[in-house]
Amino acid sequence: MRPRWRKVFLDLIDNKLRTLLVVLSIAVGVFAVGMIAGTYVIISNDMSASYAANRPANVQIRSDDFDDELLTTIRRDRAVAEAEGRRVVNLRVRAPDSQKWVSLDIVAIKDFDKNQINLLNPISGKIKPDKRELLLEREALKDLDVQVGDKVEVQLADGTIKRLPVVGIVQDPTTGAGDFLGQPFGYITMDTLPYLREPERYNRIYATVAEGQDDLVHIRQVTADLKDKIEKAGYQVRRTNSSKTHEHPLASVVNAILGILMALGVLIVFLSSSLIANTLNALLNQHLRHIGVMKLVGGRRNQIFSMYIVLILTFGLLALLIAVPLGGQGAYALSRLIADLMSFTLQGYRIVPIAFVIQALIGLLIPLAAGAGPLVRGTHTSVLQAISGDSGRGDGSKPKGEEKRESRWERFQVRAAAALGRRGIHIPRPLLISLRNTFRRRSRFILTLFTLTMGGAIFISVFNVRVSLHEFIGAVGKYFLADVTLDFDQPYRLREIEQYARQVPGVVDVEGWAYASAEALYADGSTADNITILAPPAESPLVAPIVVAGRWIRPDDKRALAVTEGILALYPDLKPGDAIRLKINGQEETWEVVGLFKFIDREGYLAYAPYEYISRQNNQANQAYSFRIATEKHDRPYQTAMSATLDQYFRDAGFKVRQAQPGLSSLDKASESLDILIVFLLIMALLTATVGSMGLTGTMGMNVLERTREIGIMRAVGATDGTITRMVMIEGVVIGSISWVFAVLLSFPITVLLSTIISVAIFQNPIELVFTWTGYLIWLALVLVLSAFASILPARNAARLTIREVLAYE
Amino acid sequence: MATDVLPIIELRGVVKVYTSEAGDFTALKGIDAQVMPGEFLGIVGKSGAGKSTLLNMISGVDHLTRGEVIVRANGKDVSVHTLNENDLALWRGRTMGIVYQSFQLLPMLTLVENVMLPMDLCGLYHPRRSRERALELLTLVELEEHANKLPAFISGGQQQRVAIARALANDPPILIADEPTGSLDSVTADHIFELFEHLRENGKTIVMVTHDKSLSPRFSRHLVLADGEIVPNGKREI
Ligand SMILES: Nc1ncnc2c1ncn2[C@@H]1O[C@H](COP(=O)(O)OP(=O)(O)O)[C@@H](O)[C@H]1O
Ligand SMILES: [Mg+2]
Repeated sequence: MRPRWRKVFLDLIDNKLRTLLVVLSIAVGVFAVGMIAGTYVIISNDMSASYAANRPANVQIRSDDFDDELLTTIRRDRAVAEAEGRRVVNLRVRAPDSQKWVSLDIVAIKDFDKNQINLLNPISGKIKPDKRELLLEREALKDLDVQVGDKVEVQLADGTIKRLPVVGIVQDPTTGAGDFLGQPFGYITMDTLPYLREPERYNRIYATVAEGQDDLVHIRQVTADLKDKIEKAGYQVRRTNSSKTHEHPLASVVNAILGILMALGVLIVFLSSSLIANTLNALLNQHLRHIGVMKLVGGRRNQIFSMYIVLILTFGLLALLIAVPLGGQGAYALSRLIADLMSFTLQGYRIVPIAFVIQALIGLLIPLAAGAGPLVRGTHTSVLQAISGDSGRGDGSKPKGEEKRESRWERFQVRAAAALGRRGIHIPRPLLISLRNTFRRRSRFILTLFTLTMGGAIFISVFNVRVSLHEFIGAVGKYFLADVTLDFDQPYRLREIEQYARQVPGVVDVEGWAYASAEALYADGSTADNITILAPPAESPLVAPIVVAGRWIRPDDKRALAVTEGILALYPDLKPGDAIRLKINGQEETWEVVGLFKFIDREGYLAYAPYEYISRQNNQANQAYSFRIATEKHDRPYQTAMSATLDQYFRDAGFKVRQAQPGLSSLDKASESLDILIVFLLIMALLTATVGSMGLTGTMGMNVLERTREIGIMRAVGATDGTITRMVMIEGVVIGSISWVFAVLLSFPITVLLSTIISVAIFQNPIELVFTWTGYLIWLALVLVLSAFASILPARNAARLTIREVLAYE
Repeated sequence: MATDVLPIIELRGVVKVYTSEAGDFTALKGIDAQVMPGEFLGIVGKSGAGKSTLLNMISGVDHLTRGEVIVRANGKDVSVHTLNENDLALWRGRTMGIVYQSFQLLPMLTLVENVMLPMDLCGLYHPRRSRERALELLTLVELEEHANKLPAFISGGQQQRVAIARALANDPPILIADEPTGSLDSVTADHIFELFEHLRENGKTIVMVTHDKSLSPRFSRHLVLADGEIVPNGKREI
C-alpha cells in the first residue's frame, strides 16, 4: 500500500474506540432511517394492496333484520356492483375447559362459494365451514386457546350453551379493518343460525360500488341513497359506513405514525452528525502536524483533502455495512408487526431499493457534511502553522474568546471554592479539576450536551405522551360510565325495567337511553356524513363529557345537540349556537349545536341529545330499547359478573334480551394498541439516547487524549488510578446531569408536538396534555448511568497512561 | 569563482515583518544573499536572530513582506513567493529537502514508509521503485535494518537520520536544515554533521542554520546573522 493510504488505514485502526464510535453513531442513524423508510414503503404498498385484494365493501349498512327480497332491490341499484347480506351476532364463546368467556362477532354467510366481498384468507384448516361448523379469525386465538378440531362452547341469548367445532382459522383483512376497538370474528353458514336460535335473516349489507371505488364523496352518496331505500322499505338503519377500495381505512393513521418515527430517525441522523463533527474536529486538530509534514514534503492540498475524504467515506461505508442489513431486517420485522396488528398480509421479505438509496446517501453524505468544516480548516493549515509548536498541538486552534471565558470560569471556581472553604466545605481537588475540564472545550461540550439533551427530552416526552393518551382513553371511558349496558329487542317501559333491575343485588341506578341516526347535510342539501345521536337523560351521571366549547345538553333542549369536535372537519366554522341541517327519520330538520365535546371519531361522528326530547320524537316516551345500569362496584370482573347475572335475570323474567355487556369493554384494546405505539416511540427515544451517550463517550475519549500530558503530571505528583478514573467519570456525570436539566425544559415543547401529531392521527383531535414525573425520574437515573458508562472506557484509558508514555507523547 | 555560474539561491532585499497584537516586529531587515551550487552554507547567529525566519523565506514555508527569493534548480528559475500554495508544495517537494530540529516523522508509519512519503506525494517514482529507493536512502544513513520499525522505537539521532533520508527522497538539489543537531548530544550531532558533509561531496547544495559558533569552520562558507541583518564581517567573505 502506498504510504499515504497506509496512513489513512492506520488512522482507522489505531484508535479503535474512536473508529467504533463514529461508525456506530453513523450506523444508528442509518439503521433508524432505513428501517422506517423500508417499513413505510412495504406498509404503504402491502397494507392497501392486501386490503384491496380481499375486495372490501365500499358500503356497510347495519339495519333491522331483512330478507333476500330487500337484498335483491339493493343489487338492482345501478350504482351497486355487488351486494351481500350477512348476519352478525355477538355471542360469548369459550374454550371447552376454560372459564373465560370471549365476546365474538359471529358472521353468518349464506354461500361461501359465492362470496364476492370481504374475502377470507385461509390460514389453516377449512376455508368454508359446513352446517354447524365454525371458522375463527386468527385474532380470536389471542383470547381463545383453541386449535382446529377443538369444539368451542357458545352461549346463546337465552343462556343455553351449544357446541361448535372449529374447522378452520382464517384471516379477514377487511371486515372491521377500520375499527381497532372491535371484537374478533367467527364465521358460520346461514343454516347454522337456527342451531344458535337465531333467525335466518340478514342484519348487515356489504356492497361494492359499480364505479368510483376510490371516490369517497360518491361512495357516501351511494350509501345515503341505499339508506333511504332501506328506510322506505320499512327497515330501520342503525349505522352506515363508507370506505374506499384501494386505501386501508387505517392507512392514514399508520402513515402518520410512521411519519413521526421517521422524524425521530432523521433527528437521530442529525444528532449523530454532531458527534461525527466533534470527532473529526478533534481528529484533524490532532493531525495538524501530520498535515504540515505532508505539505512540507510536497503534499498538495487536494491530495491531503482526498486522504481525509477517503477516511470519512470509510467510516460511512463501515456504518453502511452494519446498518443496511439490520435496517432491512428491521423494516421487515416492523412491517410484520404492523401487518399483524392491522390484520393484513405482507407480500414477503424484500429489499426496498429506495430505502437502500436513502441509507447509502445518509451514510456517506452526512459524515462528509459533518466533516466538511473541520476538513477544510485542517487542510488549509499552512506548513508553518502546523509545524510551529503553538498551533500544532491539540488545543491550539481554540479561539481567543474561549480563553477569556475559561479564565473567568476559573476565577469563579477559585472564589467559589474559597467561599465554601470558609464555611468548612472542602471540594476535593480532583472534582474541581473535573468540573474545570467539563467546560474547557466549549463547542464540543455544547454539541455533546445538545445530543444528550435531545435524547433525554424525547425520552421524557414519550412518557408524557403515553400518560396523556391513557388519560384521554380514560376520559373517553367517562362517556361510558355505566357498568352494564342492557339492550332489548323491543322497547320496554323505564319504570318496569327499573323495578326489575333493582331486585338484583348490586344494582344502584338504571337509565333508559334513546337513540337516533341522522345524516348531516351541507347547505346545498347533499349528505356530509352520518351522525349517531345518543340520547341519555340530560342530567345523566353516567356520562362525563369533555366539553370544549358551548355547553352540554339540557332536559328542555329541543332539536338541539352537543356534537364531537371532529365534526369541524365537515363544518370548519361551526360554533356553539349555530344551526346545522340534519336528515332524521327521513325528514330534513334544522338543529342547533349547543356545544362541542372531545371524542374519538374513528367510528363516525357522535352527538348527544336529551332522552327527554328524542324519546318523544321516536314515539317511545318513557320507554327504551337500551338501558344503562350502574352497580355498586366498577371493576372489570364485577361488571362482567353483573352483566351475566342481569342477562340471565331478565331472560328468566321473560324479557327479550338482545345482549348485556360490561362497561368499558372496548377500551382495554385501545390502550393495548396505544402501548405498542409507545413501545416504538420508546425504542426511538432509546436510540437517540444511545447516540447521545456515544457522543459523550467520544467527547470524554477526546478530552482524555488531549489531556494526556496533564494526566501524566497529575500522576507524577501522586494521583492514583482511582483518582484519575474518578476525575474522568465525574466529568461525564456532570455533563449528563446538566443535560438532564435541559432535557426537562425541552421536554415540554416536544411533548406538545408529539402528543398533537399522534392524537390527531389516531383520534382526529388533539388531546389534553398530562405530565408525569415518571419519565423525568427514569431519565435522570438513566442519564446518570449512561454517562457513567460512557466515561468508563475513556477513564480506564486515562488511568492506564503511565508517566513515561505521557512524556513520550510530546 | 567562475562568473558564468549563477547562484542556485538568491535573496534580494528580503524583509519579513511579523504583525501581532503587540505590534509589528521586523525579523529580517532587507537580506541580500546568494548561495552557489555545491556550497555548504552555514547561517550562524544567536537565538532570535532571525535564522529560522530566513530559512522559511527560502523554502517558501512563510510569506515574505518585501523582496524576492529566486531558486534556480532542476533547469527552472523560480521566484518562490509567486507560486500558489499547491504549486509551491509540489515544487518544494521536488527541489528541497527540509530537516528541522524536531524530527517531524509521522508516528504511525514505519521508517521506510516515512521515507517513501515524499515520493508518493510528488509522484516522481513508481511506487515499487520508491520502496527500493527508500531502502537505499536508509542504507545511506545506516538504518536499513530498522526499516520496518516505527519512529517511537528508535533514538533521537536515528530519527534525525530518517528525516534526512526523507529529505533526500525526491533527490532534490538543495537541502535546508534548521538546527538539525540542536536536540542531540555532541557525538550524535557530529555523526549527523558528517552525513551532511558526505552529501555535499555528492553534489548537494546545503543551507544549515545553527546557533553554535564553533561549527562555523566546518561549513564551506558561513553568514553571521544578528537582529535580522547579516553582520558585515561575515559579508566580507562573499
Ligand atoms: N510568528 C511570529 N510572530 C511574531 N514574531 C515572531 C514569529 N516568529 C518569530 N518571531 C520573532 O522573530 C525573531 C526571529 O525569530 P527566529 O527566526 O525564529 O529566530 P532564530 O531562529 O534565529 O532563533 C524572534 O525575535 C522571534 O521572536
Ligand atoms: Mg530558530
